[in-house]
This record gives sequence, structure tokens and C-alpha cells, in this order.
Amino acid sequence: MPVAEPLSRRARLMRMPGSKREPISPTAQHVSDDAVDLLVEAGAVLATSLELSTTMSQVARLTVPRLADLCVIDLRDDDGSIREVAVVADDERLARDLEDLRARHRLDPDGDHPVAHVIRSGEPQLLPEMTNALLRSFAQGSEHARFMVDRGYHSAVVAPLPARGRTLGALSVLRLGDGEPYRRDDLNLVCELARRAALAIDNARLFSDLQRIDRRLEAILVNLAEAITVEDVDGRTVFANQAAAHLLGLTTAGELTSAEPGAIMPRFLVLDEQGRELGLKDMPGRRLLAGGRPDPLVVRNIVRATGEERWLVVRSSPVIDPETDRIIYAVNVFENITDVKRAQVAESFMSEAGRLLAASMDYTTTLQQVARLAVPQIADWCAIDLLGDREEIERVAFHHADRDKLAAAGGLDGPDAPTLDESTGVAEVIRSGRPRLATDAQPDILAALASRPERPELAGAIEARSMIIVPITGATKTAIGAITLASSQSIRQLSHADLGLAVRLGRRAGTAVERARIYTERARIAHLLQRALLPESLPEIPGADVQALYSAAGELNEVGGDFYDVFEYDADRWMLVVGDVCGKGPRAAGVTALARHTLRAGAISDQSPTEMLHTLHRALRRQPPGADLCTVCLVTMTRSPERARLTIALAGHLPPLLIDRSGAATQVGRHGTILGVIDPIDIHEVEAELHAGDTLLLYTDGVVEAGRPKRQLGEQGLLELCRRAPALTLVGLLERVEQVALEHADGSLRDDIALLGLRLLGSTPAASAPGSLDRHRRGRGRGGEKPVR
Amino acid sequence: MVVLRLIGELDLAGAPLFQSEIDGAEISASAMVVLDLRELQFIDSTGLRVIFSAHARSLERGQQFAVTNGSEQVQRLLSITRVGEHVRIIDSPEDMGAQL
Repeated sequence: MPVAEPLSRRARLMRMPGSKREPISPTAQHVSDDAVDLLVEAGAVLATSLELSTTMSQVARLTVPRLADLCVIDLRDDDGSIREVAVVADDERLARDLEDLRARHRLDPDGDHPVAHVIRSGEPQLLPEMTNALLRSFAQGSEHARFMVDRGYHSAVVAPLPARGRTLGALSVLRLGDGEPYRRDDLNLVCELARRAALAIDNARLFSDLQRIDRRLEAILVNLAEAITVEDVDGRTVFANQAAAHLLGLTTAGELTSAEPGAIMPRFLVLDEQGRELGLKDMPGRRLLAGGRPDPLVVRNIVRATGEERWLVVRSSPVIDPETDRIIYAVNVFENITDVKRAQVAESFMSEAGRLLAASMDYTTTLQQVARLAVPQIADWCAIDLLGDREEIERVAFHHADRDKLAAAGGLDGPDAPTLDESTGVAEVIRSGRPRLATDAQPDILAALASRPERPELAGAIEARSMIIVPITGATKTAIGAITLASSQSIRQLSHADLGLAVRLGRRAGTAVERARIYTERARIAHLLQRALLPESLPEIPGADVQALYSAAGELNEVGGDFYDVFEYDADRWMLVVGDVCGKGPRAAGVTALARHTLRAGAISDQSPTEMLHTLHRALRRQPPGADLCTVCLVTMTRSPERARLTIALAGHLPPLLIDRSGAATQVGRHGTILGVIDPIDIHEVEAELHAGDTLLLYTDGVVEAGRPKRQLGEQGLLELCRRAPALTLVGLLERVEQVALEHADGSLRDDIALLGLRLLGSTPAASAPGSLDRHRRGRGRGGEKPVR
Repeated sequence: MVVLRLIGELDLAGAPLFQSEIDGAEISASAMVVLDLRELQFIDSTGLRVIFSAHARSLERGQQFAVTNGSEQVQRLLSITRVGEHVRIIDSPEDMGAQL
């Protein structure tokens, strides 16, 4: 530590011990040099060591014997107590004895001892001549008093150790025996020495605090799970913890701190949430150092070498130099949110895929949409194959992120599907039902999974860096197809997390395909059934629109159940009937046919509705025993120009709905006894009128019980649904009811649905015009044939 | 008295099980048969048929026969088909026992 000018001037006032304690002359140059020497030596000692007690002992040693026979340095602790840190004496035994004494009798900080005074007041004390009485007056007990008197305490200077407005302690120099008393100029030198010692103590304390903080901070940073880097204004990474190294795909933090600025970034593909590539200048740390105030940034970080993908939140905060007020460092904290983000992407993908798969029964189109959804979100290309009836693999969807390659592969239909006898890839996955994941880390497996040796021209389109093939599984858990996801031109590597997602997608797709196939199968069964048990087509009723819809719930071998019929049994007299025969199978089908034909026969014999139902009841009772029962809703209609008169008779069946032009629906009819089991039956006829625009809706219990027991549509639900009738064509209404019933039943009906509607046409409402009738999806017939007479 | 508790749904799927219980020796030998429908959530026409055939069998055997009220849907179906009018409906199996 260089000696400043004012110090050497003060040093001139000192008297040197070597001068036999003669008063020194202020002009004596050798004395001044000696004083300077002391302060220079002190400066050197104070500068070299930062360990507190060592430093203080060295400072004290400088004064003995040149300036004192005994030197004590006391420090005030944080709790206010006084503790000596250095005792140096000519007589080493004296020093040890004093240390021992002070250890047993600590100085009372509030007492009369000069050290306590000085520490309290911050003012130095000069005690030129200390009498025994004075020594006893401030002694810390009789032992202390005896010690001081016996050792000949004679003259003393006690100087405060001042730093940053506080007094850290006191530096005391003493002369023993008959030595020269201290004078004012000695006081000044001791005060100067004390000031410098205080500065050193303060620095040492600050340093040790700082070191402690630094060590703590470094321990925190190094061990923090969060990845942290610190970069300077040149973009050099000056600090990185292990977590940062790991997160960025490096082995040690040293690789980061030794790299040239910007040398690390090219190892990664960094994308924002929208998939746009980001450069170094976009990073929050750089933007901060460039004077910006960047928000935390969510990035998708892909290690180019390995394809490892991580989602990170990058936050940067500045370290500002207090002197220049400029940013000197940017501290970057990288939070790994990969799991959260992947789950989020996966969930949103699955929910969108689920929505697509549930929305339509046309699974080919749906699977194409799913393939398109997967690209490029999940993979660079996606192929979906299904197993056909003859065990052939049919490629139903293909999508590629690269338009050229998509075109090269032959568009959405994609490259030809593999055949089931191939030993690897899609064929193997369908045969085994086991999902596969291969990355370029396992080139053999990847090659085996991806290769299509028989179609070399596809190599470009179906190249893969990593590939997932999962089975599409239905309810029986056997594979009915496979989904292939691959990454090719993007460097992203498909992971086990993606495999999990793909397996879920495979299951979801399987359910959808199976459901659609069953739906199609049902449509086929229902069509066959309709031909046997339901009218080929519905008659045309002048001035009215009549529509029927039948949706069979039956499995392949189960037929029978609901039936309906419409026919003209006399001039302008029509009968509409909907019924439900209990049970399934050939026997129920037989009863269905019996019911339908018995009612027709009754009508043309001019029977009343009640008589027709009684006739049917008797016919059922004549059947072989087995409690065949049947419910019927029978409506006869007599047309007049403006309206239709209706007679409604019910036998154990739900009452039909009369929906007026405003959409208000009411049940009409009185409960009557179910047919075939109970004698006697009780049937009531109820009259009603139908006006232009009004709709009559007959239906079976499968409609209102759809979705039972949890999400049952219910009679009330059907009434509500009918409010929309005025806005719909009659076909539209029936389809809407069926659709809602199917929705309630999650696409899987437990019972047949039969709907028969009649709407009286007036001069007005457009909505009541007959709808499009060309789709015979589910046994809906329409007029054309002459009424049966 | 035999009380047969029906829980859940009685439809095409459950009917055969019910039928086999009704035909079982224990019920055949009892003087009284009570179908406890209080925990029956749903019944369809097939279920109705097996209940009614149980009723018919009891009459043939000279047994007393009653059912307790089921869920709203069960009651609704008994009402729509008017089967309820032909079968003795009681509040609980104890009501039947109390008459002895």
C-alpha cells in the first residue's frame, strides 16, 4: 500500500524508540524516515494478508519495541462484546499472561477501561502517566489491578479503529516501568496506524463476508437444478453451472466457458413456440446486453447432433456495474419445461385428433385429417395403413411436411402399402401388435423398419431419421392397422414420449375405425332387415310429407325389434304404425311380420284402431307359449283439404308427439295395455287434429332410452329437441333426432330406433317441403308405389 | 317368502340370468315371491316380459306374487304398458311379510 503524502507529514511528529526517548525534532529527517518506514511496513503487512488475526498480530508487532513495550488490539464483536485479537509484548511471557488474564476477565464494554471508553466514544485517549490509583479505577477486578500495577503499566495511548463511520475496536500501546510517557504527537501516529489497521480489518471482514457469500452463491449456482449461465458484453460465457452444460447437451460447464462467443449456438436448432428458427440475437441475454428489456422466452431447443429436444424458458437479468451504471453481465436462467410442454402439445394433439375421429363415420377421410394433424407437429411424415377384409394392407392416409416429397410419394394416398407377409415395418407391427420406435442411434433397426426394398423410388419420400410404428387396435386388442410417424428432414428425434402419444393415437383411431365399421355393418344389416320387415318404400300422401328412419342396434345375428308401416287402407284414410316386438332373433322377426300384416289386414277390414289392436293381441296369444309381447302406437288419419283428423290408440307404447308450427310438442294418446301377455287388454282412442305445418312424430323407446342410464335422452329431452322442428325439414328432423340419440349413446345404440314422421303441407312454410330423399342410408323408404288396398 | 333383488338394468343381456333364477328350485318351492325392484335402474320390454312371465309362473304354481317400485323409468314403463295394473305393487318386501 503506497504511503500517501499526508501520512508522511504526520509521521514527522513521531519520536523514535531508538533515540532513547529524546524529544524528536520536527525537522529531523532521519526520524521522519523512520516513521515513514513504520507506516510503509504497516502498509505492506496490511496489504499482504487478509486473514484477520494474523494481520492484527503483525500490525501490533510493528509497534514493539519501536513505539511500545506492549501492544493490544481489541475488536468489538457484533454483539457488542470486546475481544482482544492481538497481544504483543517485548516480554513474551507478559503477552501470554495478559492473554490468559483477559480470557478470564473480559473487558466490560460499558465499563471504565480506556479501551471500552474509546470504543464507545470513537475518540482516542492519551494517558501519559497512569498512577496506581488510576489503574485500579478501571481494572476488571483485583487480579487485573494487581497485574497492571505489578507489571508497571505507566503510559498509554488508546486509539480507535475507525471504518465507515463505526468504531471496530481499539489499538492500545503501552509503556511499562520508567519509560518515557506518551505525548500528543505519539497519539497522532498511533491514531494513523489504527486508521490504517481499521481499513485493513474492514476490508478483511468485507472480503471474508464476500467470500462467504461468493462461496455460498457459487455453491448454490453450481448445485442448482436450474441451468444458469452468465455472459459478458462480448457474448462470452463467463460462468455456467453443470445443469446448464447438461441441458445444452455438453459434458462439462468448462465447454461453455471456454468456447468462443457464438460458437455454441450453431450446435442447436432453436425454435420459438410457432416453430420459427431463432438466432443468437433473439436470445434474451443478447437482447439485454444490446439494451433491450426482453421478456422470458419459450424455446424449443434441439441438439443438432443427437436430435434431443427440450423445451426451455429462458430468462435473463442484468448485472450492473455500480460505478458506470452499465450492464456488464447477463445472467441467463434456463428452465426445462420439456415434460410440461410435451404433455401440453400431446394433449392438444390428442384432443384435436379425438375430435376429428369422433366427428365422422367416414374414417378414411378422418384418418387423412389425423395424418395431416400429426405433420409437422409430431412428425415430418405420417402414414396410416389399415388391414382389409382379405388381410391386405391398405394405405388410407399419407402426409409429408415437404410438398415435393408428398407429390413424389403420390399425394395423400402415398406410397403403396406394404403387404402383410413382409418381415419388418408396418406388416410386422400389425402381425405382432407391438409398437416400435427406432432412431438413427440404432441404424440397423431403423433401416429394417423403414426399408421398402421393393420400392426403391420411394426412398426419398419415406426416408427417416427416427421412426415410430404403432398398431391401430380395436376392442379385441388385435391390430387392424398401423400408424407410422417419422422424422426426416427436421432434425428432431422421435422419443419415447412420442411413442406413448402414438400408442394412444393408435387406440383412439382403432376405436373410431371399428365404430365406423360396425356402423357401416349395422347399416347393411338394417337394410336387409328393412327389406324383410319394413315397407320397401313409403307411399306418397297427397299434401303431406311422410318420412321414416330406422337405425338397428343389432349385432350381426340379431334381427327383429322395431317396426313401422304406413299405408292407405281406404280413400284418403291412412294408417301409421310404429311398434316394438320384444326380443331379438328369428322369433322376434316372425312376430314383427305377424304384427305388421295383422294390422294391415285389420285396417282393410274396416276395423277401428281398438279392434285392430285386439285382433293383434289375439293373434299374439295364439302363438306358441313364451310370452311374446309387443307394443304398438297406431294412428289412423283422415285427410280433408285443410287438416287431418287423427285417431291415436296405444298398446303399451310411448305416446306420439304432435309438434305445432311453433315447435311446441305435446304427447297425444292414452296409455293402453301391452299386447300378448295380459288379458283383458285395455285400449283407448284419442282424437287429434293436424294443421298445415304441424308434425306428427311416432317413435320407439330406443330413442328416449338412448344413452341410458347416465346420459339418457329421455321423453323430456325429445320434447325439447322438437322445438327445432319448424326450422328443419321432416327428414332433417328425423336425422337430427337420430343423431342426438346416437350422441347420447356414444355412437353405440343398445336398442333399435324407429322414427316415423308426418308433416302436413300447407301453402306456406318452406321448411315443410319434402327434403332430400335420395339417401337410403338406413332403411328410409319413400313413396312411389301405389298404396296397398 | 323369497325376495329376489334386482339391481341395475334388466334388459336383453340380463334376462336369461333372471329367468334361470325364477325357474330355480328355491323360488318354485316358496309360497310367496317378491321381486324387489327398488334398486333396478332400467328395464326394457324384454325385462318386462321376463317379469311378466315370472308373474304368470307364480300364478300357475299358486304362489303370491308382488313387485316393489323401481326407478322412475321402471315405473314409467309399468305405467305405459299398464303392466302395473296387473301386478301387485308393494312398497317393500316387509309389507308382504306383514300380511301373514
